Amino acid sequence: MSAPASTEEQAGPGIIALALGVYAIWLRELKRAIRDRGQLIGGVSRPLLWVLILGIGLNPYFRGEVYGQVRFVIPFTYLQFIFPAVIALNIMYTSVQSAVSLIWDREFGFLREVLVSPMPRVLVMLGKVLGGATVAMLHGCLVLILARFADVPIYPSSIAYGLLLMFLLSFGLTSLGVLIASRVRSFEGFGVFSNAVILPLYFLSSSIFPLDPALSRAQAAIIYPEWLVFLIEINPITYAVDALRGNFIGFNQFAPDLGPMVLVGMCIVFFALAYLDFRRG
Amino acid sequence: MMDIPAVEFQDIGKRYGRKVALEGITFTVEPGTVFALLGPNGAGKTTLLHILCTILPPDSGTAKIMGADVVRQPTQARRRLGVVFQQSSLDGRLTVEENLEFHGIVYGVPRALRRRRIAEMLDAVELSDRRAALVQTLSAGLRRRLEIARALIHDARILIMDEPTVGLDARSRENMWRYVDKLRAERGLTVIVTTHYVEEVEGSDKVCIIDHGKILALDTPERLKAMHGQEYIRLVPVDAEAGEAITSRFPDLVTPAPDGLLVRIPDEGFRRSFLLEFGDSISQLSFDRQSLESVFLAITGRQLAPTATTGGTGK
Repeated sequence: MSAPASTEEQAGPGIIALALGVYAIWLRELKRAIRDRGQLIGGVSRPLLWVLILGIGLNPYFRGEVYGQVRFVIPFTYLQFIFPAVIALNIMYTSVQSAVSLIWDREFGFLREVLVSPMPRVLVMLGKVLGGATVAMLHGCLVLILARFADVPIYPSSIAYGLLLMFLLSFGLTSLGVLIASRVRSFEGFGVFSNAVILPLYFLSSSIFPLDPALSRAQAAIIYPEWLVFLIEINPITYAVDALRGNFIGFNQFAPDLGPMVLVGMCIVFFALAYLDFRRG
Repeated sequence: MMDIPAVEFQDIGKRYGRKVALEGITFTVEPGTVFALLGPNGAGKTTLLHILCTILPPDSGTAKIMGADVVRQPTQARRRLGVVFQQSSLDGRLTVEENLEFHGIVYGVPRALRRRRIAEMLDAVELSDRRAALVQTLSAGLRRRLEIARALIHDARILIMDEPTVGLDARSRENMWRYVDKLRAERGLTVIVTTHYVEEVEGSDKVCIIDHGKILALDTPERLKAMHGQEYIRLVPVDAEAGEAITSRFPDLVTPAPDGLLVRIPDEGFRRSFLLEFGDSISQLSFDRQSLESVFLAITGRQLAPTATTGGTGK
């Protein structure tokens, strides 16, 4: 080899080459997701079940009756209330599923192919998380198709900001998934993750019931137990759902700025923690 | 071409908990040669290769790839490596071409060169007509070929293959070696290969026999044979009783083999006297002359896995 070639070797891969590498890993995640029928079926059937069946089914019970006079607990129908939470649910499933595929990659060797490449580990993980987050965000968008049935108005501005929130949530959750995947040594099936991680986080995020049942006089007598309120308040997903609700139906249970702040914090903290684990292999 | 060795190991040690996986491994591999690591399953071959590929840090010692330290300059070290792992590391849900394309981008191969290399390599391993097939639809032999092609999409100088022929039938195995030899001649590659099939290392430039994490012998196949190669009588006794009789008569010379016994020939007259004594107790007999298998047996005191197994666990 000639001398100029070896000085070039010293320089390492250029920024463009590295960015392309991240793109390749991102694209692989997308291609795999599109070819994964099971994931797509889940992504479509979940919103249908939650919005059209559970949402419509519980719609009449989401209001108080005082002396024969019908009053809504909050000034929204139940369908409108859970609609943003179903977006979060679809994102949760898909994010964690993408990240858990890391266990698969490790088991079946593909991860090695990437780890012995000249790509720095942090960019390998970035590509993986961006890919998983993109797929999860698209699954979140699948829910938006049902907006009409849930009577949720969609404006270009709410879409744009909604996509940003959805992406942040997807990114944070995929990082969390990678963090979990790095610590799990044997793959017991996705059901374990859905039951141990996703559903608890979902049900404890004020997704299917408002935090304060005493929003109307009729329900003033009912107060949730403290432990339940505590668990909901420490769950970051609560604030993500709240931010989505604020954006899509204009209802916030917390300060409107809190949601986006928690989402950004989630992305940073989970990505950093996941990287610390991922670096060690 | 270059005075720095392709690969340099200096006193490498590695332990898993209290179990010593590698100890005091020191050797160099000259550029453009074929270097074979020979040893039974669990000898430490895969661990050594993983250290070289930078996916496992050594506990002690240094390893360098074309002068780049695998611990301190891992990115640079990896750029010169093409690796074929023991277990397939292809993505089954991507097509043949997509797997190669992915590899090319991740290794920073410019687009035009990437396209050309993909076409070349697909031709070289005769997979051009399967380029649009999903990898999960390919047979084990085709996948192995694809992995070799993939390892050489970028400007790899050193091709590392960990038990590349495990699980392949005889024809695929032969084909695979044909492709590797062809590519080696074209690109001046250094090839490092681990195997427990003795017949595969006959054609290599250097053979390193490794067992229990230590180097037991390191030389050219010819010199190993000259130094350690002993002749054996390979026989199948007529019945178990006859086998026992032979074993108890020459306890120091007899080693059980997968389908009979191996009797070391200690001196010139032994053959004649042995046959006079036990000629009637033997149903099949052949003489093993100075094969690497006999070298291995002489050095380690045990047999390598028989050729027919599909073993290869490693770590």
